[in-house]
Amino acid sequence: MNAAPHLHSNVLRSLLRDRTAAVSAAVLCALLLAALGAPLFAPFDPWDQTQFDIMDAEIPPLGGGADARFVLGTDGMGRDMLSAMLYGAGISIVIGVFATLLQAAIGVVVGLAAGYFGGRLDSFLMRIADIQLSFTTLMVAIVILAVFQASVGLRFYEEYALVAIVLVIGIAEWPQYARTVRACALAEKKKEYVDAARVIGLPPFTILRRHILPNTFSPLLVISTVQVANAIITEASLAFLGLGMPVTKPSLGSLIRNGFEFIFSGAWWITAFPALLLVALILSINLLGDWLRDLLNPRLYRR
Amino acid sequence: MTHRKFFRMKFAALAVLLALPFAPGYAKTLNLAYDADPVSLDIHEQLSGGTLQLSHMVCDPLLRWNQELGFDARLASRWERRSPTSVRFYLRRGVKFHSGRVMTAKDVAFTFARLKKSDDFKGIFAKFREARVINDHTIDLITDGPYPLVEHSAAFIFPLDSAFYAGKDARGRDKGEIVKHGDSFASTNISCTGPFTVRSREQGVKVVFERFDGHWDADSPGNVRRIVMTPIKEDPTRVAALLSGDVDFAAPIPPADLARVDRSRKVDLITMTGTRIITFQLNQKRRPEFADPRVRRAIVHAINNAGIVKKIMKDFGTAAAQQSPKGYAGHDPSLRPRFDLKKARALMKEAGYADGFSVTMMAPNNRYVNDAKIAEAVAGMLAKIKIKVDLTTMPKAQYWPKFDERAADIMMIGWHSDTEDSANFTEFLAMTPDKETGYGQYNSGNYSNAEVDSLVLASASETNPETRAEMLRRVERILHEDAAFVPLHWQDHAWGARKGVHIGRVVSVTNSPYLGDLVMD
Repeated sequence: MNAAPHLHSNVLRSLLRDRTAAVSAAVLCALLLAALGAPLFAPFDPWDQTQFDIMDAEIPPLGGGADARFVLGTDGMGRDMLSAMLYGAGISIVIGVFATLLQAAIGVVVGLAAGYFGGRLDSFLMRIADIQLSFTTLMVAIVILAVFQASVGLRFYEEYALVAIVLVIGIAEWPQYARTVRACALAEKKKEYVDAARVIGLPPFTILRRHILPNTFSPLLVISTVQVANAIITEASLAFLGLGMPVTKPSLGSLIRNGFEFIFSGAWWITAFPALLLVALILSINLLGDWLRDLLNPRLYRR
Repeated sequence: MTHRKFFRMKFAALAVLLALPFAPGYAKTLNLAYDADPVSLDIHEQLSGGTLQLSHMVCDPLLRWNQELGFDARLASRWERRSPTSVRFYLRRGVKFHSGRVMTAKDVAFTFARLKKSDDFKGIFAKFREARVINDHTIDLITDGPYPLVEHSAAFIFPLDSAFYAGKDARGRDKGEIVKHGDSFASTNISCTGPFTVRSREQGVKVVFERFDGHWDADSPGNVRRIVMTPIKEDPTRVAALLSGDVDFAAPIPPADLARVDRSRKVDLITMTGTRIITFQLNQKRRPEFADPRVRRAIVHAINNAGIVKKIMKDFGTAAAQQSPKGYAGHDPSLRPRFDLKKARALMKEAGYADGFSVTMMAPNNRYVNDAKIAEAVAGMLAKIKIKVDLTTMPKAQYWPKFDERAADIMMIGWHSDTEDSANFTEFLAMTPDKETGYGQYNSGNYSNAEVDSLVLASASETNPETRAEMLRRVERILHEDAAFVPLHWQDHAWGARKGVHIGRVVSVTNSPYLGDLVMD
């Protein structure tokens, strides 16, 4: 109980001392706030078709000297880019976070079971994980989403695209978690405190939950940062292939794809701004993840 | 061949190549790239853009479309209507075939008979009974009933050399036979009267045309001696070939590259108001709301089609308020696009749908220029009068079966009239659907108006052009008033040519440039 405040101050001090991490954290916080508070900050609602007009299409951003209403210009349908990006970033973050939570949920259960019980269950689960890993995430996602899109029809797809994408990315990437958690569980289960817990007759579920799981947290935290970033990138790639979020509720990836065909005709901002935002988002998450790994790795513990 | 000899030859060839441009009377060669080369040299095998392009190079029609959508005399020096069912054509004298024979009315009659036999072309000549030879230079085209589109059809008659196609070839095949997608004498041999002859042809690789010195049209300004036609199927590759100067002339120019071609300093982009109308049809059978003309009018008023032309089509189109483009008999210049959001909302309220409703919409995404984007924009515009649109776009291979099923409440269709005539639009798109006669075959809106039906049917046998034009204009006005469909725009045609290749003077809405008259600097 009294370890918590100590850890907090330690983390904060380390964060402030590492300038890269501090900047990343600030950027990420700003982006999260802007994206999740988009309905409050955005000048327009990009999901509401009555709010844009075709006559406002392809207006260049300010400085290009156009229209004060559209700070970052408009896309080919007359949507305000700034609003579309804020909402889009929100969608991307939601996909990233929920897909990662799903991966973690599946991965942790499988990993703990495999590591703790061992034997045939372990071999079985880990072979499944191997098989799953041999298909690249993108390939699995493309196949499943394409089949889903074709079988339920585009209209239904557009409504449930978010859920479908979260499910697909979540299911395709669980072995990352399973393997890490299994390795931790294997190491932990041989330790005396686990033996002690077993001796006093605690059921396996309690031992896993109360004793082993908390000890896997630090690697989980590090993977999670990477995985959130990965999930966002995967969704962006899928969107670029036409299998991500529909144009009516675009994620950052769909916005980039949307603008891509305008590049040659000179409307660079439609694709460039969402791309920059995506890079900023991914970079800040990854840099924070790096810092977190250093912080949580005892061998690199510098102070 | 020895090494040295080879080099000497190469050097000689190089010297010739270098000297050529400076040689006096240098023969002009036009390198052109189309998306495909003609599938056959038999001009009656397939009714397609490729075949017509070939026909205009190797053959000459009796008369042809000019840029004002009128007719220019070609092999027929003049023509006159003799009775409601017959038109007399006076043929030009001294016209020679590539074989050297002089053309007579018998050749025209032979060609007419062959067209009637061709699966693809016989539809255009369905209303014709016979071609009656009066003398060597006079021929009458006789129709079953009064038929106003004799000239429109005569633009498809490119007289072939009847003696050339008579008898059997070395392999015992009938020389005049039309074989679809097959091997026939006519598919690899041609004798016609056109400005060019086919010098060599490798299917899918290149076709070389050479100027025909015996061509009758001595007044033609055309100075192209040789044409090398290379098919380049991929759009970006064709455009790149044009921009880099590998070819002098390329078509079609895809819409995505229009701006790039236009910006280029070495290349001219030639566009022309097209005659293909793009529309949405509102299905009254699926949706009782659409049976109310006020709702249909509200929708037409809600759609800013001039905005779509400006922003999505980048002005490569003309906003429409009717089916017939300018120049067509039925075009009524008083019909203007009616975008007016306030009025649209008022009409919805008047019809009792102030709170709107939900509909489904389908559109292809690779058939018409920017089709999917147009559909998306229209869906957005309908949202403003509270009609919520569930839009699905798909490739044309999947779209047409869906269209035949009438699978959505609002469907997109574009239409071009083969005969460049107004009645054709209404026959297919707006007349009451009738399985037996085929009228209204593409009328997915199920719009039906007895007056429109009877006017169009009557126009098919009205031979007085003025009366007929007034009937067709009336049809357009009724369709406009009823908001029978949602007119969007007429798509432009686009060609690209190196500067100094004056392609702009020889193109026409039929999309077959008259290369015989092409002037190159």
